[in-house]
Amino acid sequence: MTVIIMVVKVGVVAMILFGLPLPLTWLERKVAGHIQARLGPFRVGPHGVLQPFADMIKLLLKEDIVPDKADKFLFKIAPLIAMVPAFLVFVAIPIGDKWTIPFINKDITFYVSDMNVGVIYILAIAGLGIYGMIFGGWASNSKYALLGGLRSSAQMISYEVALSFAAVGVVMMSNSLSLVDIVKSQSGGFWNWNFFYLPVGPVWFFIFLIAASAEINRIPFDLPEDEGTLSSGFHTEYSGMRFAFFMLAEYVAMVTVSVLAVVFYLGGWNPPVDIPYIPDSILPFYGIGWFVAKSVVFIYLFMWVRFTLPRYRYDQLMTIGWKILIPVCLGAILVTGVMRI
Amino acid sequence: MSKMAEKIKNFVKKTLFIDFIKGLHVTLHYNLSRSITIRYPDEEKWIPYSRFRGRHTLNLTPDGRELCVACELCSKACPTDCITVIPMEDDTGRGIADRVARVWKVDLVRCLFCGYCEDACPTRAVRLGREYELASTDLSCTKMERVELLRPQSIPESVTGGVVAKARYVRGEGKIKVEADLGRTRKMRW
Repeated sequence: MTVIIMVVKVGVVAMILFGLPLPLTWLERKVAGHIQARLGPFRVGPHGVLQPFADMIKLLLKEDIVPDKADKFLFKIAPLIAMVPAFLVFVAIPIGDKWTIPFINKDITFYVSDMNVGVIYILAIAGLGIYGMIFGGWASNSKYALLGGLRSSAQMISYEVALSFAAVGVVMMSNSLSLVDIVKSQSGGFWNWNFFYLPVGPVWFFIFLIAASAEINRIPFDLPEDEGTLSSGFHTEYSGMRFAFFMLAEYVAMVTVSVLAVVFYLGGWNPPVDIPYIPDSILPFYGIGWFVAKSVVFIYLFMWVRFTLPRYRYDQLMTIGWKILIPVCLGAILVTGVMRI
Repeated sequence: MSKMAEKIKNFVKKTLFIDFIKGLHVTLHYNLSRSITIRYPDEEKWIPYSRFRGRHTLNLTPDGRELCVACELCSKACPTDCITVIPMEDDTGRGIADRVARVWKVDLVRCLFCGYCEDACPTRAVRLGREYELASTDLSCTKMERVELLRPQSIPESVTGGVVAKARYVRGEGKIKVEADLGRTRKMRW
């Protein structure tokens, strides 16, 4: 019985995560348009809502080109390696709390599994995604793709350190590696959230956001895939559905990082102010509503930052990763340690 | 001392992301304001100002006589030789004098829309009007004759222009037009 529930939960999570990038591409283009004082996609369906389907059909019907001297196995497997870890991370992320199904009187929890080393699991799986880019760049047998892949992997390794430090900060503030415990330790009201653990809470939060933007190759850190200097970096040689997988991987990673920011720093499913008048039967859904609202704010924040800032040059990127973020992390660890005495 | 204060201020600004937040504020302001796109041709159409140099017209006096006296000054002023004028004698009172144009042709493919013909005309007969949708799929509608040019344009001279009018995209047989409703206009959001 538990196996069936687990399979159903995993299925639901996978379905949602497969379906999410399509509305997200639409939303990104709409936000891009409105920030640039124009309308986004407008003609394909009312206000352009069918645009992602048009894009999907186009990508499906494109010719699948595998370069001649490319390493065929690595070339074909690279998009999968880029995409699957972004989905795997969601196994550990809690969306809501326990709920009793009314007529069967069975308890289900709104997370797939409550690992007691959830944070370590997430960091390890997120590191796997880098391989997809390296394989994509190397196997394409093209100098632009190779350079893009190398730059991208160097960037991601550099910011892994800062990301891990931010996770360590959360662990120090919440006293547990399990994500469910981290969320539960932030209950009670917004002053208990890890973001408001003054003075280091906001510092960790911003370190996490910066490191996460660099991890998912998002502006201002998206030099590996900029169309100007590198003719689209490690996915230059990919066409059709393989390219779509890379894009899917990027959007799912963006969702992952937003959700992680909410879980680590903004209290997960806890509402800002506890209202005691919510009946127990719908309390978990109330929490899920808050969770979704907070994640949407972060997703919008990523898109907003994308269309505001220019991108960093490569040496500036490396400078930030090593010479600025890591000393700040170390200082914040010191202060957090002192505060936890 | 003030250089030190400058440096401290810059450092504090960098740590608190002040310039990023200012940039984000500007972008948010744009995001929450209406876009400036003109939804041509389905919804709206731009009505140009009176000084706009579009397709030619030949004007009439208020009591219906042709102003063009076929003096051929426009033809001589034209840099690309796209205007052909052949005069003829006429006593029927079609024009303001006894000389009218038998043939008045303009080749819209060669025309630069420079306005020299408009400047050269002594009677203010030739005017460049506000019709700008001149694209076509074959060359049959590129040479305009006198009769066609005498018809009143869709935007009369009295309309000031410089507005965006609500329009409809009308598909007829062989021709498509965007018809503007000059009563419902809005200013352009720059």
